[in-house]
Formats: sequence, structure tokens, C-alpha cells
Amino acid sequence: MTLNELTQIFDTVNFGLVVLDRDIKIQYWNRWMAMHSGIPSDQIIGEALFDFFPHLSTPSFNKNCKAVLSFGNFAFFSQKLHSFLFPFKPDSSFGYRFELMQQSCTMGPLRSDDNSISGLFLIVQDVTELATYEQKLIEMNTKDALTGIYNRRFLESRLSDECERHRRHSRYLSLIMIDIDFFKKVNDTYGHQCGDMVLQAVASKAVSVIRKTDFIARYGGEEFCCLLPETSAENAEVVAENIRMSIEEMTNCFENHSIKVTISLGISCFVAEDSPETLLKKADDALYQAKHSGRNRFVRLSPT
Amino acid sequence: MDYCLNTISDEEKEILQEIMNIAFGKAAADLAEVINIFVVLSVPYIEMLMAHDLPVYIKSQVSEYDRVSIVEQNFWGEFKGSAFLVFQASAGRELISLFGDGSGDFGSESIDALEKETLMEVGNILIGACVGKLSELLGDAVTYSPPRVVTENTPNDAIPVNIFESGSSAIVLKTVFCFNERNVHGFLFLVTSHDSILWLKKSLAAFMEQYE
Amino acid sequence: MIKKILLIDDSPISRRIMKSCIPKDRDYELYEAGDGLAGFEAYKEIRPDVTFMDLTMPVMDGAEATEKIKEFHPEAVVIVCTADIQIKSITNVLGLGALMVIKKPPSKETIEDALSKAEAHIG
Repeated sequence: MTLNELTQIFDTVNFGLVVLDRDIKIQYWNRWMAMHSGIPSDQIIGEALFDFFPHLSTPSFNKNCKAVLSFGNFAFFSQKLHSFLFPFKPDSSFGYRFELMQQSCTMGPLRSDDNSISGLFLIVQDVTELATYEQKLIEMNTKDALTGIYNRRFLESRLSDECERHRRHSRYLSLIMIDIDFFKKVNDTYGHQCGDMVLQAVASKAVSVIRKTDFIARYGGEEFCCLLPETSAENAEVVAENIRMSIEEMTNCFENHSIKVTISLGISCFVAEDSPETLLKKADDALYQAKHSGRNRFVRLSPT
Repeated sequence: MDYCLNTISDEEKEILQEIMNIAFGKAAADLAEVINIFVVLSVPYIEMLMAHDLPVYIKSQVSEYDRVSIVEQNFWGEFKGSAFLVFQASAGRELISLFGDGSGDFGSESIDALEKETLMEVGNILIGACVGKLSELLGDAVTYSPPRVVTENTPNDAIPVNIFESGSSAIVLKTVFCFNERNVHGFLFLVTSHDSILWLKKSLAAFMEQYE
Repeated sequence: MIKKILLIDDSPISRRIMKSCIPKDRDYELYEAGDGLAGFEAYKEIRPDVTFMDLTMPVMDGAEATEKIKEFHPEAVVIVCTADIQIKSITNVLGLGALMVIKKPPSKETIEDALSKAEAHIG
């Protein structure tokens, strides 16, 4: 095949192809790259890649270039961790959740006839569609459909990770179990639609009150569970009280009714011999006590 | 020993040993010089095995680790096979501080993802350097698949059971590596498939011819 | 004048490669040893003019053997020939008194060069 024929192929393929010399100057820029970057090939060939894309000049990218040039290995820039190398607009904005095209890129060596490495190539693949599907799937698997916060499955897997981590590094870990008081009454009085609205309101209120490092999931019907990494018993009580107060102060409007609810909370703190199950059980026991000592309060059982 | 024709002789084994010594020495020196990674590679060890004995062999070698992280990467050229980099599972965190970009901006990605990425990057470079130098000395240039990271509770679950066709033989090249600054160590296994053995015998002979 | 050369390396292949790189027309007497300790013993007995020393060896490594030989005989000419070419290892053995370090695999040229440096050193 002639070079001309090869070039025709490179210019029709549906991915980006860039060739760089040992000084990271651009030697080849296929039509796909020209189209998506808006930079025609004759303007960029012979120029330094970092002059046009300065954000690429990171220690990690440079390290990868050097490694490929000296060892002839391949470097992979996954969409998962890098999102993209080149900031391009997505091919179609329809149905995508990303403002910029998601890319999966591969870098490899180019060798001359004597097998020495003369430069490197970069292949850029558009994986926006795939990444969108993946994001939707993850969301469906980890989020609760009604409230939009995490679901129980995700909480449980996260809980066992966190327990493991805190056992290894002997750090604090606290957990709060939350239950809406007299929720059945809301449902019975105003109907399930109203009940759903209350659940949504409580969930989003709680999310807005907790700290960035905490996270909350819908655990059951009207039960929520909040996981607080790196948090001592005293600080967990502060978080619990903040949540309790914010729900007590909240007024929900449904049709012409204004509805107020309260919550009860049970706190447990991780100790070395705890498992995810015992941590949940302790919080549940504390919650039970909170209910039985009058509701609208938190209880933390002191370690026995 | 009723090994078939496709086995290597003791002399070939010694030649390969010497070539690996040279290759890994170059790899370590270049890693230090080019990208400031300081790694000590032990004298490589060569073992001929039947492919179906491989998982048991690797497990027995890493039995001191209770939880392992494995970076797996395939390479192909004339020299063809799989590389397995086995770390103790806690190594990921140590390596982040050793290789971290300093940018620290992984957005919503959890520490686990960062650990995985670091393992992948370290694995990719270490495997690339070792396999690259070795194949270079043997007169070949290889291509690589993207690395894959497996983290498991026990070595039992993490080591693939059927890498190559059972009944075929494999050459396992083992080395212990250690990042001195962080006291992180692990094993590198290069497993060359049966198809490469004839080619390997030829290149070993060609290597020695220079010194006749 | 160099007459006796001692090769200390645990790999027979490596010794074979070394021998093939040493000029054959000069009637050098070649001796071999398979580890650092055996090498040191051989040194005491043979008193070679030049010793080629590998670093990574069983029983006693090349750095220790170099140290022992230089202690025993400060004028000894030890040329380290190793695959371990990290700066740290090289500075280490030079500090122990090795004349120079050559990279494995050796070639006829590097060995020739090393021998003439050794010759000049002996004077």
C-alpha cells in the first residue's frame, strides 16, 4: 500500500490519530483530530503539542511520554480517570450528560528500521456514549428511584469498605439510623402521594445538612441511614442534632395542608470488634430507644 | 523427565538467565534515570512448568501475602505471553505517595479508584520496562494490552485459573522487586506461552553467536 | 604487564561471554571462580594482575569480595562487570576501590579498553 492510500484510511477512520516526535512536536494530525479540535493539520504540524494543549503538560503525561520513548511500552489514559485528553465538544449533544467528549486514549512507540524508537503515536477514541450508559447504569444501581439519594445496596457495600478501612487504620467511624416518626399517619391521612413527597423532602433536607464527607442512603420504607467516616461519637451527635432540628423546622405543603414531621435517630460508633452488621444493629437498638423515650430525639448507646 | 521437544535445555536456561539479568539491570537504571523511579530487581529465576500448574505455582510463591493486588498485562510479538505483578493489597496506598502526580484532583473518584490507577500506572511502566528491555536484547519489539487490576481477599481468588491451554508448557520468569524508599515489594512473573519457545531458542542461540 | 586474569562470576554463560571478549593473541592466563568467596580465595592463591568481578552473586557478593581483595592487597586491580548499573551501585563499588565499572554484556571493545586502562594503572 502507498502512503497516500494509508493517509486516506487514516483520514476516514472514526478516531483521532496523532503522531509525535521525540520532542513532542506534532508530525501527523488526522482529519478526525482536525475536525474536532477546529485546528487544521497544516497549522499544527511541526508545532509543539503543549503549545496548543498546555493542560497536557502534567508530570504524569510527561512521565508516560518518557517511558514510551525509552521502554517502548504503551500508556493508557482511561476515560474513568482522565475523562479526556483533548477538550473537544461531544459529537452530538443529544442525550449526553457530558459537556466535553469523553475519551479513552492509547499512546505507543513508533520505531524506525533499526528498531530504535523515533517517536510516539496517540489514538483518541470517543467513548461519550459508552460513558453515558455506564453512568446511567451506575445510577440505577446505586440510587433510590424515589428520593434520588443512595440506595440500601450501595450503603451496604460502602459500609463494609469503610469498616475494613477503619479497622486497618483504627480511625473513627459513626453511623446514624434515622426513622420518620408516625410516618404511617401521614400516609393514612393524606395518601401515599403525600407520603412520597415527605420522604423526598426529608431526604433532600438531610442531604443539605450533612457534611460533604458523610453520605446518606434510603435504608427502608421511611428509614434512612447516614455513614460518617472519620467522625467521633461527639461529632456524630452534633450531626444528628443538626439533622433532627432541620427536619423539625421544616414545613411541607401538600395540596392545602401544611405537614410537619419529626425524626428519631440512633447513633453507633465503630469499635475494633464491630462488623457492618453489628454496627447497624447497635444503631437500630439506639433508634429503638429513641422511639421509646418519646421520639424526635437522638440516642447513642454508650459502649457496654 | 518426559518433557516434549518444546522445552529448553539447562544451557539455554542459563543464557536466558544472563539476558534477563542484563535486561532488568538496564530497566532499573533507565527507570531511575528517565522517570525517577528507584526500584531494585532481584536476580530473576526461571522455571519450566506445565501451563495448568501455573496458578498453583504463583499462589505458592506469594503465600506470604494475605490480600493481593495483581496487575495483569499481555504482551505479544515473537515474544508473547502475560505479565503478572503481584503486590500485597496495602501497597496501592504506599505507591500513591510515591508516584502521585501531586495534582490530587480526582474529582468524585474514590481513593480506591486512585489506588487502582496508581497500580495500573506503576504496573504498566514496570512491566513495560522489563519486557521491553528483555525483548530488545532478544531482537524483538512487542505490543501490549491495557493493564488490568484485580484486588482480592486471598491470592486464591485473584489468580486466573486458565491462562494458557492446559497440556502446553510455559516458561515462568520470576523476579522480586522493591521500591526502596517506601519498602513496597512484590513479585513480577513473566509467563511466556508455548508458541514463543521455538522462537526463544533461536534468539538465545543468536545472542550467544555474537560471543563465539 | 598483565599476565593473569581472574574472572569472578556465578553465571558460566557470563564467564563464557567474558572470555570470548578477551583478546586471544596475548597469552593471558585465565582463571575463573563462581562466587565472591571462592573468588577471594582464588585471588590470594593466584595473585592475578586484573580481576573482573560480577556484583550479584551467591555466598559473597561482588561488593564485599572487592572490599576483601582491596584489604588484602591494596594494589589489586578490580574491574566490576555488572548488569546492575544504577548510579548508587556504581558509586558504591568505586568507593570500595574498584578501578572501573563496565556494563554487561561486555564487548571486545569495552574489554580492550578496560585492559589498557588497567595496564596504564599498573604502569
